[in-house]
Amino acid sequence: MTRSLYRGLVWLHPRAFRSEFGDEMLWIFDEASAFGASSLLTDGVISLLRQWLLRTRVWTLAAATAGGILQVSLGGAVMFFHGRLNLHRATLVTSDVPATEELLHITVWALAAVLAMVAALALWVKSLNGRRLERLATGFARR
Amino acid sequence: MSDDLSQFLPLSPATLHILLSLAGEDRHGYGIMQEVLRQSEGQYKLGPGTLYDNLQKLMNQALVEDAPRRSGDDDPRRRYYRLTRLGRKVLTAEIARLDTVVREAKLHLRVPTTRRAV
Repeated sequence: MTRSLYRGLVWLHPRAFRSEFGDEMLWIFDEASAFGASSLLTDGVISLLRQWLLRTRVWTLAAATAGGILQVSLGGAVMFFHGRLNLHRATLVTSDVPATEELLHITVWALAAVLAMVAALALWVKSLNGRRLERLATGFARR
Repeated sequence: MSDDLSQFLPLSPATLHILLSLAGEDRHGYGIMQEVLRQSEGQYKLGPGTLYDNLQKLMNQALVEDAPRRSGDDDPRRRYYRLTRLGRKVLTAEIARLDTVVREAKLHLRVPTTRRAV
């Protein structure tokens, strides 16, 4: 039971980490679980969180998406209500159709803006990582 | 060279213990865990998750590398690790740094005791 649980925890790790160290982690569990499986399970959970949150940096994309959605939603809402107000002032509102079209336009633009922001961030992070790896490689070559 | 090594220092307790456990001989993951427990007199218990996270980092930094298996009938899941030349230099530099810290600490902690004795 505990082994299956630990196996599941190992399986949930990022693929690169799991394929490199997963078998060894299971082997250590087989060797050491007799002396206390609970501490190994706790370590497995902490490792899982560490690998996904700190090492893969998936959270940066999630945070960027959430931030982008928030910004664009707020901006869109302000634009929408401002537009409605202007329409009312000019007494041009005769039916709900223009307002619906306006809302649709804003939604499409908002989605496009969020996608563009996330893509830009992903490219930026990728280029940063590339440069960091290059620097490391150059440093080791010097040694 | 010392400038190059300084980017690795100071080492975290987990990193220091792992490098220290590999200073004497090549070990597999479980061997490292047991050696760290022995070195710390049972005070520092390293879990597999923490161990492999650190090993991954150390291998990326070229401080630790894979070592050949000892015998053919070994469990195929066992992987052996060893210090690289750079890893040994970094460990030596860290021990020298810690030695200075300990000497300094002893010097300062001894002063009040000596005064009281006088």
